[in-house]
Amino acid sequence: MISIEIKELTKKYKNKIAVDNLNLELNQGELFSLLGVNGAGKSTTIKMLTCLVTPTNGDAILNNYSIIKNKNEVKNIVNVSPQETAIAPNLTVKENLEFIAGVYEIKNKKDKVSELLKEFKLNEVEKQKAKTLSGGWQRRLSIAMALINDPKILFLDEPTLGLDVIARKELWNIIESLKIKTTIILTTHYMEEAEILSDRIGIMAMGKLIDVGTSQELIKKAKARNFEDAFIKIVTGGDINESN
Amino acid sequence: MKAINFAKRNIKELIRDPLSIIFAIILPLFLLVIFQQFKIPSDVYKIENFTPGIIIFSFSFITLFTATLVANDRNSSLLTRLFSSPMKPMDYIFGYTLAVLPIVILQSILFYTVALFFGLSFSVNIILSIIVAIPISILFIALGIIIGTITTAKASSGVGSIIVQLVAFTSGMYFSSDMIGKTFNSICKILPFSRVLDLVKGVLNSDYTNVISNVIISTTYIIMVTIIAIILFKNKMNSDNK
Ligand SMILES: Nc1ncnc2c1ncn2[C@@H]1O[C@H](COP(=O)(O)OP(=O)(O)O)[C@@H](O)[C@H]1O
Ligand SMILES: [Mg+2]
Repeated sequence: MISIEIKELTKKYKNKIAVDNLNLELNQGELFSLLGVNGAGKSTTIKMLTCLVTPTNGDAILNNYSIIKNKNEVKNIVNVSPQETAIAPNLTVKENLEFIAGVYEIKNKKDKVSELLKEFKLNEVEKQKAKTLSGGWQRRLSIAMALINDPKILFLDEPTLGLDVIARKELWNIIESLKIKTTIILTTHYMEEAEILSDRIGIMAMGKLIDVGTSQELIKKAKARNFEDAFIKIVTGGDINESN
Repeated sequence: MKAINFAKRNIKELIRDPLSIIFAIILPLFLLVIFQQFKIPSDVYKIENFTPGIIIFSFSFITLFTATLVANDRNSSLLTRLFSSPMKPMDYIFGYTLAVLPIVILQSILFYTVALFFGLSFSVNIILSIIVAIPISILFIALGIIIGTITTAKASSGVGSIIVQLVAFTSGMYFSSDMIGKTFNSICKILPFSRVLDLVKGVLNSDYTNVISNVIISTTYIIMVTIIAIILFKNKMNSDNK
């Protein structure tokens, strides 16, 4: 079953094309990683798919709902962990989750909140104001908040930025456990992360989706020794020599 | 329900950073007390006229800190996250308004209580004038939402204090506007601040001169400003219009 169908999605700013004619289909339960250097257009793509930014051209159908025509329906079935940590600073960790549960009018609010507290190991800091947490913990909370409505489609914009090795591994486990039920698009700068988690990987450069495939397919196509080299070759068009 | 959920969060946010609330209560209270010491021989400083003035003046501080609350929220990525949630523009406007209303009521009760000590005689009119003040406070909250929506967090308090000044000079709380001159007087009559003050004062003192025109102009302002707040806020919910 097709979960996301992106058709000619384009975003132009005054003198800049942030996303240029993106076409892509994702299956239900697929985990897709978007890679690309800073400014490639990853966040803008996610912002369009979460109805934050209006496309200049094109459309996307998320579980049969158009991001242009059915904004309200889309907003109910998706959720996003934005690139910048998005939490209410003066609320405690638990209050943040309760608040976001209220935003999505979650029925079994109590259970859902305690489930997320446990899953993200946030119990020990649940009474702490969010602004007093370290960056990594704020990030965890921000991601936990994105799961409050059991989204059918989840967008994670650089989710593991600022997390330590252990927290990153833990988050990977959580993401793994969400697959199948949830279609996930994540962006990252960590090649390893994309390789381990993704079913397929898309590489963006200057607003264009220049290559899509499994990590193995991309390595083969680029005639590279490993995925990192493949990424560099694809993005630079082979201008930068392999590092030996 | 989404609005109430949002209001709850806003109340917590305000109470846990209470400096602005304290300011909005203490400063007008200070003015109320201090001007009673001066015994200025003018009708506007009589306790039954000056207390409603202080109430409207305190509402301009509500504008100030509503603006700061909204501008700070816009600055944070929390609001960006909420903009991709199913919350509607009205949920935000109601959420901000409901969070600020308890402070409005608290202010009015407090100022009247203090006024009783300075010789205001107790009557049911006090309660009626508080009831009239509540919809009037919507005007000031909506002005705050507008300022918070169109200015940055840094600029919001500066722009908000324009409202504080306008209330001080055009409401007639310190001096009657016809003392200054014709043009100034007509500006005061076009702006809503003297109108709303006259309403609150009128109810307190059972003086209903010009009540029809005051009600019409005040209501028009409240509705218009609220609609503008909703439209501007809705527009900002699209990241392209940041
Ligand atoms: N609101 C905006 N106005 C103008 N240019 C923008 C805006 N948002 C993003 N851009 C530009 O679009 C390009 C893509 O940005 P972005 O999607 O954030 O990239 P990435 O997330 O891949 O780093 C960048 O060049 C960025 O400067
Ligand atoms: Mg980005």
